[in-house]
Amino acid sequence: MNKKLFTSEQELTAFSQQHHETAAMVQIRAAAFEQYAELPLPQFQKINYRTWSLFNGEPLVAAPSTLKPLTKSTATISQQGTQPAQIQLNAEAQAAGVVALDFFEAEQQFPELFAKYYMTIALAKDAHRLAAFHAAAVNSGVFVYVPAGVQLKEPLTWEFTQDTTTGQMYVHHVLLIAGEKSRFTILESRQSDDEQAISANIVEELILQAGAQVHFTSIDELKSTAYLARRAYLSANSRLDWALGLMNDSNVLDDFNVDLKGDGSHTEFKAVAISAGTQIQGVTTRVTNYGQHTEGNILQHGVILSDATLIFNGIGHIVKGARDSDAQQENRVLMLSKTARGDANPILLIDENDVRAGHAASVGRVDASQMYYLMSRGLSKDVAERLVIRGFLGSVLTEIPLAEAREKLTATIERKLIDGQKHRDRAE
Amino acid sequence: MANLTIKNLHVRVDDESEHKEILKGVDLSMNSGEIHAIMGPNGTGKSTLSETIMGNPRYTVTEGDILLNGESLLDKPVDERARAGLFLGMQYPAEIMGVTNAEFMRSAINARRADDDPIPVREFIKELDKNLNLLDMNEKMAERYLNQGFSGGEKKRNEILQLLMIKPTFAILDEIDSGLDIDAMKVVAKGVNSMRGADFGSLIITHYERLLDYITPDVVHVMMGGRVVKSGDASLAAKLEDEGYTGLRDELGLDVQLTDEN
Repeated sequence: MNKKLFTSEQELTAFSQQHHETAAMVQIRAAAFEQYAELPLPQFQKINYRTWSLFNGEPLVAAPSTLKPLTKSTATISQQGTQPAQIQLNAEAQAAGVVALDFFEAEQQFPELFAKYYMTIALAKDAHRLAAFHAAAVNSGVFVYVPAGVQLKEPLTWEFTQDTTTGQMYVHHVLLIAGEKSRFTILESRQSDDEQAISANIVEELILQAGAQVHFTSIDELKSTAYLARRAYLSANSRLDWALGLMNDSNVLDDFNVDLKGDGSHTEFKAVAISAGTQIQGVTTRVTNYGQHTEGNILQHGVILSDATLIFNGIGHIVKGARDSDAQQENRVLMLSKTARGDANPILLIDENDVRAGHAASVGRVDASQMYYLMSRGLSKDVAERLVIRGFLGSVLTEIPLAEAREKLTATIERKLIDGQKHRDRAE
Repeated sequence: MANLTIKNLHVRVDDESEHKEILKGVDLSMNSGEIHAIMGPNGTGKSTLSETIMGNPRYTVTEGDILLNGESLLDKPVDERARAGLFLGMQYPAEIMGVTNAEFMRSAINARRADDDPIPVREFIKELDKNLNLLDMNEKMAERYLNQGFSGGEKKRNEILQLLMIKPTFAILDEIDSGLDIDAMKVVAKGVNSMRGADFGSLIITHYERLLDYITPDVVHVMMGGRVVKSGDASLAAKLEDEGYTGLRDELGLDVQLTDEN
């Protein structure tokens, strides 16, 4: 790992000034900058990413000079590269007092919320080198606050595109705070343009206050080497349902974490992934039951083509005192070629007696009798394979509440599989 | 008129469970417009023949040929054979999660059409409804996952439903009657009979004569010991019903051990 620092203290300060950052943020950056190179990299079982270029590109150049005024009309956020986020709130959201702001504007307007929640309880600034680097170098992001009691009928839609043409490393932050008993759905999509030499370091923090209910769907289509953390902190009786499509085309280190802190909190984590070509996706999903009567379920299904690698680590941890809690998980990987590499590691760490826990895992190949049957009806090998895979991934697809998002993920899966098959068929 | 010819076919199986030659020189020729039945005792290679014609990779042809309209099928994979006009109604259809029956059949039909000319949805649904109706099948069957949790009888009906939707030139039906009660068998027979015509031929493999009471064959072949030992008209099936395979074997003076014989 290259220990050369990514910038100097002077440049860091200049960047903060240019963005009118608060004194608190300047301090966070400075402290993290001093620390990050010495902190260890995070460890994920069976995922060796030491040779990945996770720090390509200069994060602090080409910063936008001014903040664009924000318009508000529908519940949509889009952010191109490190440009300020384009945010539109519909009448429903505005009336309810929903706040959605570009990262830099938010840290000025809501310093107390930042002090309390920004890289504190969901992912600590000094947790490891990638987190500290993020705290030092963050150059874009959004902040969303849904006040207590607000129930949104329409989803919050946000779309983030990494722009690598600037040569700028993408260090993007999402801070979401769901107020007490608020209830809403998030549809996220992430992508990047074609360049792959620029890295990304993305941290999303989801803070659910007591009784909040959030449904989070994301379709990830990154093309850059990336560290992508989604970290959630759940207060009492809150519930977070996930449906993630990990459809990246590059090496991605996914670090998903849910802390079931409050009593009675609950998460259903569902993800599908496809690895193709020569890419490596390492997915670690950890749910920790701290509170009593908490429930955390992990379901991860993935498919590997060609020479690609996909590793699912599922970690269910029930701490001492989390009585009457439940941790279940299922990790399954389907390999479509002899050179595909896959792993499904369920890990249960149980420090309390009065709990329920279980796991299932498998690494397998497409069933030959299914392929024969489908092909005997005239379907080509590729089409037959895609049908079997769609069935295999279906358990997550059916979880997505909105038909539009479901169709989008189905189309993305199809696109990724066709690309992967083409790559394979050329190689054969 | 289409033709399917099997010439001196020798087939082996070599896998974990078996190493042996099963077919020892099968000859058979049929044209579209005809229904042929293959009867024979257990373990005589009837299913091996049907799977080999379709192209199941488990079976290896060591000698002979399979010709569709004079062209050898041996180097063609199973999907190409299907698109060339073959269909195999299987004894044990695979179950596939997450793929609906209707979606699957539409993909199968479209596999036979140009990429830019898929079957119009309305036309597909009309055809599907007609055939579901003909086979006494609930329309919910179309939206269920392919064979997933189907009973034995439902699977067999579903094979015939696919046959009616795909409309192949030659349909091989491998013990489509096994495990069916008499009503279900009549329904299956009704489906097959509805396909009868100058452009359709069927090779019906059956253990018992009963199915042939409902689907009258033009030709009956009897297989024993990996070969076709006798061919005749529909009356041959009736004769077998009376005399059994042992009777025929002794009459022909064959040295074949029948599996069920002690």
